[in-house]
Amino acid sequence: MTTLIEVSGLRKLYRSSFGKPKITALDGIDFHVSEGEMFGLLGPNGAGKTTTVKILLGLTHPTSGSASVGGLPVKNPESRRHVGYLPEGHKIPNYLTARQALSIFGRMSGMETSAIQKRIPELLERVRLSQWIDVRVKKFSKGMTQRLGLACALIHSPKVLLLDEPTDGVDPVGRREIRDLLREEAKNGCAVLLNSHLLSEIELTCDRVAMLRKGKVAAFGSVEELTRKTATYKMVASPIDESLVAAFRETGAGVERVNGHMVLSVTDVEHLNALVDKLRAGGGMLNELTPVRSTLEDVFVDLIRAEEVQQ
Amino acid sequence: MKVLVANIEDVMREAAARWTLIAYFFLSTIFIIIFASAINLDIVNGALAGAKLFGKEVEMGGHNEISIEKLVLGFESGFSVFLYFICTFLAIFATAHLVPRMQEKGTIDLYLSRPVSRVRLLLSRYIAGLILAGSNVIYLMGTIWLIVAWKTHVFHPRFLLGGTIIFLIIAVLLAFAFLVGVVTSSTAVSIMTSYGIFFFGLMLAAHDKIAAAVSKEWQAALINALYWIFPKSAELGQAVIAFVGGDEMPERVLSVLTPAPFLSTAAFGVVCLVLASWLFTKKEF
Repeated sequence: MTTLIEVSGLRKLYRSSFGKPKITALDGIDFHVSEGEMFGLLGPNGAGKTTTVKILLGLTHPTSGSASVGGLPVKNPESRRHVGYLPEGHKIPNYLTARQALSIFGRMSGMETSAIQKRIPELLERVRLSQWIDVRVKKFSKGMTQRLGLACALIHSPKVLLLDEPTDGVDPVGRREIRDLLREEAKNGCAVLLNSHLLSEIELTCDRVAMLRKGKVAAFGSVEELTRKTATYKMVASPIDESLVAAFRETGAGVERVNGHMVLSVTDVEHLNALVDKLRAGGGMLNELTPVRSTLEDVFVDLIRAEEVQQ
Repeated sequence: MKVLVANIEDVMREAAARWTLIAYFFLSTIFIIIFASAINLDIVNGALAGAKLFGKEVEMGGHNEISIEKLVLGFESGFSVFLYFICTFLAIFATAHLVPRMQEKGTIDLYLSRPVSRVRLLLSRYIAGLILAGSNVIYLMGTIWLIVAWKTHVFHPRFLLGGTIIFLIIAVLLAFAFLVGVVTSSTAVSIMTSYGIFFFGLMLAAHDKIAAAVSKEWQAALINALYWIFPKSAELGQAVIAFVGGDEMPERVLSVLTPAPFLSTAAFGVVCLVLASWLFTKKEF
């Protein structure tokens, strides 16, 4: 699969007023997004998510490191030829109608007038704004403006989508529709980078996630990898008695009895197998053994707490 | 070209939606109507026998008959300087917001995320602003020219061509407004400083007298330097009169029709535009 977004050792220092140290927004981050992939960028406020997206768009210049989109360095305006961007709190000029906004941004993306005219109705149909095609943006609700923003990002059929809080202000049905639309774009080969505070949204949508903290990648991987507590397993076995629990504890495992099953904390997979052997050696029957998963929110909160402890 | 067309469409739609365009042309139209209804000429055998301004008889200076060509020439050259001020002020007022509004958070991202270099984006917007301002210059001068031609049957194209000098000062002031807009992102500051520099230029026309009046040599040198740096708004206003009046004008008026004020004013505009483009390229959003 072709890599469409590549970030390597990216650093960004913001100047501050005299006598004060510079602010480190990004401290050497690396990640890549391939075609057809949905990638989530997470982190608390000030972690560097927006700075990363701004660098990818050439809105802000990196202090060091490199970033490329579609194989071109972000310094080159051509790198944005196939990029669709939906900024957070975007302000599509409210004196324009949906048709006019799409026409202006389509033309600025280098599209021919005939192609724009053909694309506008089908795109507005996809974001459920067909009825509002000739209505000025100032009459739109927040959710409608957000959907129009998405249409503006998609007008030139981009290969890369950078989305900042795409479902902000959108009702639950609309959110699902946007998720479906993004999945469809990814299915067609588009690389999607999603920047959102709605962790459930990321969990439902993204293939891989990078969690930023203080300008560094604090956690990285697929949603499955990040939410799997590798050292914690749920074991349903019979019989579970005190002698078995004691035998498990003797090995150094943490054992918790919860509603008739056990939650085991082990050091590694070998340790887990040793416990299973002990169970069987005692004549016990293993009914179920599953890794305990946390939500993305749990992982996120754990990261923030770890930061607080460090401080 | 597509970027330019998109920017022109954007600027015109904004001007229309925000009533700028309507107010711009409405004020110009009011001015034209007042002008058309104020002047009544009595022409007998191709010569002016009498004239009324706002219903009152105009003193003919002892001459019973004045050549209508001469009257039109004198009138148009005098009137063109009035238009010089009107057009310049309206143009800056109608276009100074173009950069600050584009630089607003949430809007600039939408423009800069397109495959367009920042310089191209800024210059496209500048040209769009000039088209808006230029259309009003053409409307105002063209209509007045037509009214004069209709009432006197004298067609004097130099009056229309005088509009190019007005257009030059507008282009230079707009470049300055763009520079201030890029730096401050403030429409109010862009308007104030552009008007300020225009008036400063008027005052600096007397730079010789001011320099002679100051007590220190460096102050005199500074005054003279500022004169050469800033747009020559006084000289260009005078040039409009001289250009429209042509050879009929006194030597004192015609003396301003030299390349120096035009070139130095244009150079100021070019430097402002280059600086604005450079700063816009470096700016972080």
